[in-house]
Amino acid sequence: MRFTIFQESRKGSRKTNQDRIAYTYSRDTLLLVVADGMGGHAGGEIAAQIAARLFIERFQQEAKPILKNPLKFLQDTMLRAHAALGSYANQFSMLETPRTTCVACIVQAGHAYWCHVGDSRLYLFRQGGLIGATKDHSKVQYLVDQGIIGAGEVAAHPDRNKIFSCLGGLVDPVIDLSRRTPLRNGDVLVLCTDGLWSVMDQHEISTWLTSTPILTTAPQMMREGEKRGGPEGDNLSAIVVRWGPETLTDEQTTTVTESLGIGDFETQIERTLTLTDRKGTQRDLTDDEIEHAIEEIQSTIQKYRR
Amino acid sequence: MPVTNQALAGGYQLLNYRVDRQISRGGFSIVYRAFDEEGVPVAIKEYLPSSLVLRTEGDIVRASSAENLTSFRYGMKCFFEEGRALAKINHPNVVRVLNFFRANETVYMVMRYERGRTLQQHIQMRQDQMSERLVRHVFMHLLNGLREVHTHKLLHLDIKPANIYLRTDGSPVLLDFGAARQTLTSARPKLAPMYTPGFAAPEQYREPDRLGPWTDVYGVGASMFACLAAFAPQAADARVSEDHLVSAKKIWAGQYSDNILEVIDWCLRLDPLERPQSVFALQKAIRDIPPIKRKLGFFGSLKKMLFSEIGA
Ligand SMILES: Nc1ncnc2c1ncn2[C@@H]1O[C@H](COP(=O)(O)OP(=O)(O)O)[C@@H](O)[C@H]1O
Ligand SMILES: [Mg+2]
Repeated sequence: MRFTIFQESRKGSRKTNQDRIAYTYSRDTLLLVVADGMGGHAGGEIAAQIAARLFIERFQQEAKPILKNPLKFLQDTMLRAHAALGSYANQFSMLETPRTTCVACIVQAGHAYWCHVGDSRLYLFRQGGLIGATKDHSKVQYLVDQGIIGAGEVAAHPDRNKIFSCLGGLVDPVIDLSRRTPLRNGDVLVLCTDGLWSVMDQHEISTWLTSTPILTTAPQMMREGEKRGGPEGDNLSAIVVRWGPETLTDEQTTTVTESLGIGDFETQIERTLTLTDRKGTQRDLTDDEIEHAIEEIQSTIQKYRR
Repeated sequence: MPVTNQALAGGYQLLNYRVDRQISRGGFSIVYRAFDEEGVPVAIKEYLPSSLVLRTEGDIVRASSAENLTSFRYGMKCFFEEGRALAKINHPNVVRVLNFFRANETVYMVMRYERGRTLQQHIQMRQDQMSERLVRHVFMHLLNGLREVHTHKLLHLDIKPANIYLRTDGSPVLLDFGAARQTLTSARPKLAPMYTPGFAAPEQYREPDRLGPWTDVYGVGASMFACLAAFAPQAADARVSEDHLVSAKKIWAGQYSDNILEVIDWCLRLDPLERPQSVFALQKAIRDIPPIKRKLGFFGSLKKMLFSEIGA
């Protein structure tokens, strides 16, 4: 796989950052996850962290190196994260279960699959146009669907923070799954929290990220978003992936996953999550490992044979 | 008791390859020329570190102690890294790996056999200086190969004339990824550094966390320098304390274009940040040299036109 990836989480004007974002990939599969802990509730930050971590950990258990069923993986992981939040609250006798929104996306074999709970969003842009998006599980979105308010009124609506589905809530979450969506080179995937989309509409986000090297413009977009949030500004986070080899810049910014061995993962987690390194420690090789290394090199030779 | 490892004898049957002769013996390995079943020549690299005496007779590699075995097995990781690195690179200017196997209690890497000689040999055998045209030709093509290596998030880390092979048609092949590590993916390199004085960048001696494409760029600059000088530039660790390196621009003023001399000096900057930061940046700088004015025939100009269309 070849892609360019950017992720950033900014605190805005809040004291804490309750957003968590992370990505990880094996040689053949990429996972992106964004969670926005719900501040009004106990431990929003913990909730977002648990959800993001669970996605990463399950991915590393199951993507060997591909997922059998990406949509099922996404749905199961959402349900497990919801359950994990419940048991976390139990374990620490919390009165309220920590809650979070979550949007996660898998890219595998040239197709994207995504899944969300709450109002963290995914946008898929092709040549600047929106060809895929999540629909918030929120009161205002419901009002839009009913034709009571226009889409343009969402960001400023007083109830815009009211969501009816989240992980850790009293009722089981509503989980929306996407279709299997083929990607083309140059397509841009954006996963973000409401801190970004409430200050910048999809057209503007698309303008920032279309026909420009995203590693240059995405940070500018985030800074602009934070500025617009002003003194009350919410945490804002985004993961941006430009699919295919980077052709817009001189620099080598393309991530090439073929250099990972089977069972290897590269993981980037924004902020405090830490995971154990699964790669081997410094010791000599066993016979099995030697055989395995040789098999792997041979299969790579076969694969890259012209 | 013999103090060196014994090479496999000519005629030895190694799997489906027949060993012809030893081509080279280095710190980590012995390279043989051999033939496959169809009589096609191949180069086979046998992992056999010279610091451990492991085979004084016959073909089987035997460790004399548990400690010996541990070092042997540990070093094997580098050899696997080399195989892993090369297996996925399919580029005309990077040596091609054809097979990788285990035998005689050690491991072997089979490569496409290249006819020609190393740039090192080429430099040493020449009486006259290398022409600018040849230097540019060799390095432009070599950089295409190196760019592909960097695209795979690999660094070569041992670029020097002895690891650049010149085919008989003049095209270069990048050899010897024994020092290659996947440093572009991880924050810190996993294995101890290995370097060749004169060609290794200063950060290879003391700041392994600052390795990057610019580190190979230093090796490229030092190799270009060596093509002109027929000797290596002053070693970077010595340069850091007292820099005696005279700039290429001074030494060869008037003999080569200012641009190529400036490019060499640029690559050899001690501060990694002051060098070209990517192979692409370096290639752009080399391309910027105005072509030596020559009258081109009709086909010449047509060819030139076509190349500038396809190029970049
Ligand atoms: N594919 C090849 N075709 C022809 N000669 C080769 C090939 N690979 C290596 N050699 C020869 O063997 C020498 C040593 O190979 P190299 O890969 O640099 O190993 P070392 O780790 O011993 O330096 C080279 O300088 C070259 O002369
Ligand atoms: Mg060598």
